[in-house]
Amino acid sequence: MTDSPARTPQSGQTGIQEKKPLLTARTKSKIVDFLFVVPALALLALFTYYPVAKLVQISFTDWNLLSPTWDWVGPKNWIWLFTGSGAKYLWNSLKITFLYSLGEIFATLVGGMILALIFSRMTRGFSAMRAILFVPKYVAMSSCAVVFMWILNTDYGVLNYFLSLAGAAPVDWLGQKSTALISVLMTTCWRVLGYGMMIYLSAMIGISPQYYEAAALDGATRTQQFFSITLPLLSPTTLFLLVTTFLSSMKVFQSVDILTEGGPSRSTEVFVYLIYRYAMVDFRMDRAATSAVMFFVILLAITVATMKYSNNSVNYDS
Amino acid sequence: MTIGSRKHGVGYYVITVVAVLITIVMIFPLYWMVATSVKSAAESQLIIPTLFPREFHFENYLNVLTRANFLKYYWNTIVMTAGVLILQIGTGTLAAYGFAFGKFKGRDIMFYIVLGALMIPLQVTFIPIFIMCSGWGLQDTFLGLILPEAVSAYYIFMMRNSFMAVDQSYVDAGLIDGLSRFGTIQHVLVPMCKATIFTVTLVTFSNGWNAYFWPKIIAKNEVRRVLTVGLAQLKQTFAGQAVSNYHEIMAGAVLAVLPLVILFMIFQKYMMTGYSKAAMK
Repeated sequence: MTDSPARTPQSGQTGIQEKKPLLTARTKSKIVDFLFVVPALALLALFTYYPVAKLVQISFTDWNLLSPTWDWVGPKNWIWLFTGSGAKYLWNSLKITFLYSLGEIFATLVGGMILALIFSRMTRGFSAMRAILFVPKYVAMSSCAVVFMWILNTDYGVLNYFLSLAGAAPVDWLGQKSTALISVLMTTCWRVLGYGMMIYLSAMIGISPQYYEAAALDGATRTQQFFSITLPLLSPTTLFLLVTTFLSSMKVFQSVDILTEGGPSRSTEVFVYLIYRYAMVDFRMDRAATSAVMFFVILLAITVATMKYSNNSVNYDS
Repeated sequence: MTIGSRKHGVGYYVITVVAVLITIVMIFPLYWMVATSVKSAAESQLIIPTLFPREFHFENYLNVLTRANFLKYYWNTIVMTAGVLILQIGTGTLAAYGFAFGKFKGRDIMFYIVLGALMIPLQVTFIPIFIMCSGWGLQDTFLGLILPEAVSAYYIFMMRNSFMAVDQSYVDAGLIDGLSRFGTIQHVLVPMCKATIFTVTLVTFSNGWNAYFWPKIIAKNEVRRVLTVGLAQLKQTFAGQAVSNYHEIMAGAVLAVLPLVILFMIFQKYMMTGYSKAAMK
């Protein structure tokens, strides 16, 4: 990784590298340059890359925190994950994670775009409303989650009260399988809608009005203008939102942990929650590590796929 | 198109009404949080809720601060966030300089190694890190909270890009005038990249303040519990006894978000440029 010291006789100035007088000033300068990136690289090696290797290793052992020793067990955990009793939970959590991702992506892209169109007016009132819509993004997820837990409460929740005004029976939002994931997504939507809107709006401002003038001269309607000018020119923004939202939504944990703890009967057990449960509740480090490696592979595949896709299908004209 | 006024069509007013309605719906959860936080226990659980509190019980806040130890959580959150910020800025700025202006072999490969770390979140690696930190006795310590977050690939990436936008001649001029590398960073690069540094720092700050996953794992104990985890626990301790404490939980929620919301209201402009800059990359 480092430069091999050049063994030339003339030494440079004295300085940090005084111990090695055989170095030229140039080599010395290179080494000093390199020292600037050492702390970051060392920390990344210790807290990012080494753990990945360690995870792979643990996935071939029977390590759990309750017993002091561990043994190599070969691919047992992997067999368990794909064909044993672990498979059911793996597919379940994969399905739920993707459903959740889909919901968050839809809210950010479609919801954000619709809000951007509604709130595009450049008056003082609209600017204030835009600021209000963006505030949830600043609110810590844990606060969001407890607030929605209260709003969605079966007996005293204000949402059920509003529904009762319309004649509906109270819904046990967080306590039944059919609505638990929707409730988690509601919390997410509230948080990301304003963000999607702001990102789209700031990109829309960059579109030259000449495009619209030309289109209007040619007799294009507003709808036509939107689909043939706005949408294509916003494709880099859409791609950016898609990729970042997809990757961050795959890592969802906090809202699920506070609102439902993965329940009821694992109906909101997203992937990170599954890993967390194996590691910190069951203390099965072997199974948790195997699932974590699996999760890493999925994230990697998504990243590579989106990078490849983004290189040849996005309009960079704006 | 001319029913409403001569200037604007119906559509204009329809959109105004829709926009106002959406805004009301979006701000309602926040309003409800604040409104519930000052209600009495009895008022917070009426079958027909009062949309505006009848009486104001500010002692809810006092209860949360003292009985639930929120002052301790505040302190822990502040120290953790400060520690993470200082270390990330320190390691990140140095590394960004090295990657932008350093002339050593393997520089670009090393930079790719840094970028690769962006794809490996703590949610993947927490098991070995937890085992390591426990082995070093770092459970329930500030060091345990801070150390795994001490370097941010995102920070390095953003800072390197902004350093590289600075013309090489400024850096050379600094060196010729006898500035050391640290001097160059301090007197040339940092002043020229102030806006980026500020924005990235704000984002880092909010990530630190809102961190939940790792603190929950490494600092389970009361002594080093942070606000986000403490707030979630507020629900667990009280929820055992029906829902009678939601007014206090809401007070806790307000306390947890207040510093950040105020900060970002002040710096809204920087935040927005930060987000849109990231979007245009």
